[in-house]
Formats: sequence, C-alpha cells, structure tokens
Amino acid sequence: MSKAGADWFTLIPVAAVAVAAAAVPASATVYLDIQAAQQTMFPGASFVAHPLTFTPEQRKAIAKASGVGIFEKTQRIWEVRSGGARTGWFIVDRVLGKHEMITYAVALSPDGTVKSVEILEYRETYGGEIRNPAWRRQFVGKRFGSSVQLGKDIKNISGATLSSRHVTDGIRRLLITYQLLLRNA
Amino acid sequence: MLRRCRPLLGTFVEVTADREDAIERVFDAVAQVHRLMSAHEPESDLSRINRFAHLQPVQVHPETASLLERALFWARESGGAFDPVRAGKAAVEHGFIPLHADQPGPAATSWRCLKLQGRSVRLDMSGCVDLGGIAKGFAVDRAVVALRSAGCERGLVNAGGDIRGFGPEVWPVRIVEPMSRRPVAQVRIADEAMATSGGLPAGEGLGFDHLGGPNDWWTSVSVVAPTACDADALTKIAWMRGNAVLSFGGPGVRALAVTRGGEVESINAPEMALA
Repeated sequence: MSKAGADWFTLIPVAAVAVAAAAVPASATVYLDIQAAQQTMFPGASFVAHPLTFTPEQRKAIAKASGVGIFEKTQRIWEVRSGGARTGWFIVDRVLGKHEMITYAVALSPDGTVKSVEILEYRETYGGEIRNPAWRRQFVGKRFGSSVQLGKDIKNISGATLSSRHVTDGIRRLLITYQLLLRNA
Repeated sequence: MLRRCRPLLGTFVEVTADREDAIERVFDAVAQVHRLMSAHEPESDLSRINRFAHLQPVQVHPETASLLERALFWARESGGAFDPVRAGKAAVEHGFIPLHADQPGPAATSWRCLKLQGRSVRLDMSGCVDLGGIAKGFAVDRAVVALRSAGCERGLVNAGGDIRGFGPEVWPVRIVEPMSRRPVAQVRIADEAMATSGGLPAGEGLGFDHLGGPNDWWTSVSVVAPTACDADALTKIAWMRGNAVLSFGGPGVRALAVTRGGEVESINAPEMALA
C-alpha cells in the first residue's frame, strides 16, 4: 500500500467494540510458555518444581516487608540445577494493573540477584474488567501457547505509555519471598 | 515470527522478529539506552549531566550525545515547544524524577542553557535534563538497527506505544484512549514509526510529565514519522502547538489526536476515511 494512502487509518466501529468487550478481553499476547522461558533464561539446565503455598503468617510477613499485599496463594517456583549444583531459581508470578494482567518469569541467581525478567503473557482490557474476580478466574490453569502469526494474532497497541510499575512491585515482593523462604532452603 | 517482551525504560518493550538470536541483541541495545539515559540511575550519563554539568563539562557516550543532539534539534525547530530542560525541571518539581544526593535543584528553565560539543555536555546553570520524552523512541530506533544488523529482514519494536516496523510488511497498530484503553482507531505503518503521547494523571502511567502543560482539547496525540525518536518528539510538539506540528514534520509525517470526548481527529490527513 502507499504510505500516504487513503486507508492510512480506520476507525473501529463503536458497535463492534461493544460486542468485543462483552465476549473477550481487548487484547491478549502470549510471548513464551513456561518451558520456553526456562530454556531461554537458564539454557541447558534442569528444573525441580517447588511450588510454595504460603501460610497466612508468611503472606502477612511478605506483604509487610514488600509493601505489596495482593498475590497468588501458591507461588510457582523451580530450583535450577546444572551438573549437580544449584545455579538459581526460576519463579513465575502474576500481577494485576488497572487494565492489564501480566504473567512473568524471574530468573534469580543462587544468591538472590535478578538475572533476567521475561513477560510470559500480557492481557489487556478496557473498562476495568481486569479487577473483577470472575474475569480473573477464567484464566486460572490456562495453558500457554508460544507462537504468533503475522497479521493474524499480532496486536500492536499504541496509547499513552503504560507504566511497568506493577511488575517492578511484583519483583520486589519476589525478592522478599526469596529472603524469607528460599535463601536458606 | 517470534515475539518477546521485557520490562524496560519504565514500560514494556515488545520485540517481534524472525530470529531468536536477534531478539537478545535487541534487548541489549534497549538496556544500554536505559542505562545511559535513565534519570533514576545515579551513574547514568543523564544523571551525571544533572549532577555535574553546571560545574564542569561531562563526557557522555556517543549514543547519549546523538540523542542530546536530536533533542536540541527539536527544541530549536519547535521554538521550545519540545524542551528537555523545562520538562526536567517540571518533572523534578512534580516528583516524577528524583534528585540524587549531590544534585542541585534545577534553576534552568530552557534548552538554551544546555550546550553540547562533540561528546562534552555543559549546563549554564544547575538544571535537570529529562530525555524521557524522546528516549523511548530513540531506544526503538536503536533496537531496529540491532535487528537489521543481526540479519533480520522484518521486525517490529514497541516500547510502550512507541513503535517502529521494518521489512515488506504493513503492520496494523491499534490506537487506544489513554485512560480507558478503549481502541479508537487502527493505523497501518510500513517501514516507519509511530508514537503516541497523552495526558495521564500522576500515578496512572507515563506521559504527562514530559508534555510541558495540559492540552485541554486532546487526551492523546499520535504521530507517524520515519524514525521513532522523531515521532516521539513530534507528539510533544503537537501537544503544545496543535495542528502547527505539520510545519515541523517533513515528508511522511502524519498525525491524529483523540479528543476529550473520545473522538478521533485527523491533523493532516485529508485523505483519511472517517467511516
């Protein structure tokens, strides 16, 4: 097409938007599944699952020390091993913003330093549905896919810049979790 | 196509490319811009300018110098509508960016106090340079250079709405209203970039702090330009100067705005189809 062509942009009809809002979130992108993220962040390592279900006391302590109060009841944690030795921790976490729910993975070195962060899945909606518990529940146990097709699945969104503050807060909470529960594990 | 996303530059940076090894290099390029230009990191080039450049010349990385040069170009072209020094002072005063321990409160109110000679930077008086209004776009441009030099033939980089695509594809981009994130328009970009800036209340996100003042008829403005850095700067100029932004743009520049009432307003597209 010509760059200055007549169809440079199209308005999305309001009626279509309203229907979409009732049925599906405005946008969801899956970047990596858990296994692919593990291999990207710790190539060649093996992973031993240690899901951590917090006691009420532990939840309270983590919330107090990190200043972040809302999080999942069970944290998905893997011990990372290479050649018989621990080489780090791999943690999957979720955070909620006003319009978005983000699943992400953090790679920690054995001493609890953040090595890398990958967003696994980003769900964005509008109108505040993300805060609705029923809306959130529909994604519990959701399986991940990992490939996107050009033009079909790809959603590119431009608006006023979203802050990644919720992920930063989530990582702070995970580092407290490490300090309290993993460091001496 | 592979697609990855990491939290960087205070937002989400998304890379779409046809080669895995290229993606890692792209994030390295973006992380480098983050390290050099972040006002939050005390040892970044930008923070060293803000701490010391009123006392002595500060030597910066060539990438920092090239972004400063472009920022000064747009400040001059726009008669100060885009002004990284005025924006920095406002950002400090509103608490958006921190003052480091040995950093003086900013006195300078204009880009004219900022002097760049090669890689050497000086401020005529204490001041706070904020490149937040343009650095995300610059990072996107660096990312595209990294993708191309890694051998990718097509790709797209989106740093919090600052987007650049390349290759034979035409990339669809959905423009959303700043507060509600409701989609209002769909734009197609080819081998070019688009940026959107808008007014968000403090705490809701980024964007308001660099625009220099409220615009009382738009909530956001989107600009398409050959590079993401220029598109980014032009959104700020459009915010301040309205439709007059077109006289600054050059070939290929197009723009649209979302009004307070949620309507989409074309700024320079007489060819635009409104239905």
